[in-house]
Amino acid sequence: MGFHEQIDALIDDTQRSLALFGPELALCGTIILLLLCRLVIGDRLSSTLVAFAGTVVGLVAALFSWSQVAGTSQEAFTGMLVIDSFTIYFRIFLLAFAVLFVVFTWRSGIPDREDAADFYTLALGSLLGMCLMVAANHLLMVFMAFEMASVPSYVLAGILKGRRKSSEAALKFAVYGAGAAGIMLYGISLIAGVTGTVHLPSIGASLANTMAADPSSSVLWVLGLGGLMVMVGLAFKLSAVPFHFWAPDVFEGAAAEVGGFLSVASKAAAIALLVRVAIGFGFVQEASAWVDAEDQSVVQTTNGVDQTSIASASGETTSQIFIAARIQDGNSASGQNSQDVQTTGADHQQGTDQQDTDQQSGDQQGTDQQGADQQTELTQPDESQLSPEQQAAEAERLAEEARALGIAQRREAQEVANESLGPVRTYISYLVGFLAAITCTFGNMAAYGQSNIKRLLAYSTIAHAGYMMFAVAGAIPSIGTSTTLAQDHISALAVYVAVYLFMNFTAFAIIAFLRNQTGSEEISSYAGLIRTSPGLAVCFSLLLMSLIGLPPLAGFAAKLLVFSALADSGLWVLLIVGALNTVISLFYYLRVIKAMCLDVPEEGQQVAVFPIWKNIDGWFIFLLTLPVVVLGLFWGPLREWALAACSQLLS
Amino acid sequence: MDGHINWHSFYFLLFGLTACVFSVAVVLTGSIVRMAFYLTLCLGATAGLFFLAGAGFVGAMQLLIYVGGTLVLLIFGVMLTAQGPFVNMKTRAGEWVIGGAAGLMLLGLLLQAAFRVEEWRGPPEGVATATAENAPPGEIGIRMLGKPGDNGKAVGKESGYLLPFEIVSVHLLVVLIGSAYLARTKRRRRASDPAEST
Repeated sequence: MGFHEQIDALIDDTQRSLALFGPELALCGTIILLLLCRLVIGDRLSSTLVAFAGTVVGLVAALFSWSQVAGTSQEAFTGMLVIDSFTIYFRIFLLAFAVLFVVFTWRSGIPDREDAADFYTLALGSLLGMCLMVAANHLLMVFMAFEMASVPSYVLAGILKGRRKSSEAALKFAVYGAGAAGIMLYGISLIAGVTGTVHLPSIGASLANTMAADPSSSVLWVLGLGGLMVMVGLAFKLSAVPFHFWAPDVFEGAAAEVGGFLSVASKAAAIALLVRVAIGFGFVQEASAWVDAEDQSVVQTTNGVDQTSIASASGETTSQIFIAARIQDGNSASGQNSQDVQTTGADHQQGTDQQDTDQQSGDQQGTDQQGADQQTELTQPDESQLSPEQQAAEAERLAEEARALGIAQRREAQEVANESLGPVRTYISYLVGFLAAITCTFGNMAAYGQSNIKRLLAYSTIAHAGYMMFAVAGAIPSIGTSTTLAQDHISALAVYVAVYLFMNFTAFAIIAFLRNQTGSEEISSYAGLIRTSPGLAVCFSLLLMSLIGLPPLAGFAAKLLVFSALADSGLWVLLIVGALNTVISLFYYLRVIKAMCLDVPEEGQQVAVFPIWKNIDGWFIFLLTLPVVVLGLFWGPLREWALAACSQLLS
Repeated sequence: MDGHINWHSFYFLLFGLTACVFSVAVVLTGSIVRMAFYLTLCLGATAGLFFLAGAGFVGAMQLLIYVGGTLVLLIFGVMLTAQGPFVNMKTRAGEWVIGGAAGLMLLGLLLQAAFRVEEWRGPPEGVATATAENAPPGEIGIRMLGKPGDNGKAVGKESGYLLPFEIVSVHLLVVLIGSAYLARTKRRRRASDPAEST
């Protein structure tokens, strides 16, 4: 390929990728607009309006891309990102969150007049990173998206300047984050060094080779260490024990708005990234090239327009021969239908005996030149008598057959490869499951003694990260056995994340609005709330009960789906841990409800008055609490949508 | 080898020892200015190791970004923010023990990892190997513009790096705004008291 063809191919690929990149582009544009707008106008409302408009445009673009990518998953930017329905589901989720977040911060007043532009720039920059995390298909993008999501949120944690706690939170967050990122990068370099690739689907393929060649290879030990180190980074983002230390301090020190941002958006992106990485390691995609380690035969995937590569294999897996044959439809100088057959198998002789394709070539030893001279006896006894149209049709038929054969063979190879990845999946499942169990238990235990509501919710988000990781641990083992089952389990996670948005984000919104009135974030300051503002107290109680997972609220449906995924996978220990944790969590959530509904305020204590019908704030809370009730009763559509989102994950 | 010195080994030992000694010195010293200086030497020696390994581009980047950029910034930061001439950090005995134990455990793990992989051990004695090929800068530039690479291996494809190259600029913009925000003094909102606004 000449230089100009290369550039043309690049432009084509980039244009195709940019069409799939709409929501992210909208975020980038909004960030720049925010800065320009500040130069010209510079008041709070204009920044908020620009941020609102930008996120709405992004959301519309994300919703639009749902129908656009209805077919199959596509790789964008030469394999850097993968855009499938899972990506788009989470992108819609993140951008919907962004719209709600802008509305919420507009009402709660945390970014004041001079900070608004900075605040939204940072929040949207972080969201951009999260969108990339969700779509990452390459270890470099995994790391970059991780940093893009993290670094702006360090500043967000310290957005309240001049407060000791806030600055401390930001510093702690930054130091822990830098450490976690460093360890993750080291793990990535180990994995890249051992597998020889950084492209996630190729890592699975390379891993399958290693496993097939020698299941007890010493290399696997290094890979295990690398995986563990990558998990450190992800656990930091998920605030999973033992990398959760930052969470309570940051949530307590930062504004409630930022707490809502970190606990919902950041966590959703991290769990999606965990799914992506786990699938990348534990699953061999059909589309990726796979090499049988024993005889070094190659299945080549050619993405060219006029070339179809086929792979024909026969015999047992131990003597698999892959012959990559390229069929060109009459583009050669003589305008003939020519085939060039390349044998790449080490023992091609055996391959010739066993293969039953249409290519009865006498000598496969040949180079491309020799191969091009050969004619297929079966289809073209005398090629000069065939008209160009016939030749073209013939070539098409051949290509079609070859393609069908290639797909069948590749499926078989994929199955074999996936079987050999079994131990890898067990490792990932145990690792995630173990972390999930201690995260969940620790979060719930530690939440018990808290008197500050933000600290309590921080431990509650740690516990919920555990529940989400349960779903991943449940889904990973079934990847190898049944694709539909695995998709089913991951969709439980997708439902959980969507429900979690409403539960947790609204809880943080209520905390922020109450803080604006009383200036306090202690649980004791909520005493008597049921008398002064009954609507709000009922909403908050519903949210907390949903966080526990009591029926008939949405939290129950989400938990039920996750637990049934665990039961399906036979992870009974995790199921018991999860159920026990739900019981433990009952007590501390109910303590908040008790403070609101039963406790009598102390003498002289200011009790917030927050009418739910009178102003926008009240309506905002009401409209966001509504889905928690509605989704608890009718969670069918959400479940369907989540299933559709996961339907392209393991193809 | 009759009096000849194997310069490659010599430089490897030199750079390796420099990197190790000064990285330990960074941990042991209490003065921040000294730490920054030792870090310069340590990172510079690492760049030397990259050059020896044939990764000229990475070595140059290491020098430019870490030694040239970050560290100069660090030293300036220390000089401009330090209240006294020498800021000393004190570490308690308990922290030494815990930190040392964690560090040594990690070191043990990583050493094991480094020596486990057959291919990473280098060729056996007496076997000549081809020196690693440097990727020409032009090729690197084209890859940054998004040309997928051809790694010559069967497994996997090498992506072009257009997206990371471009998106990191957005990230840097956002982070710049963030650092400017943190560095800026908050103005008082009360207009009646201009004396307080700093």
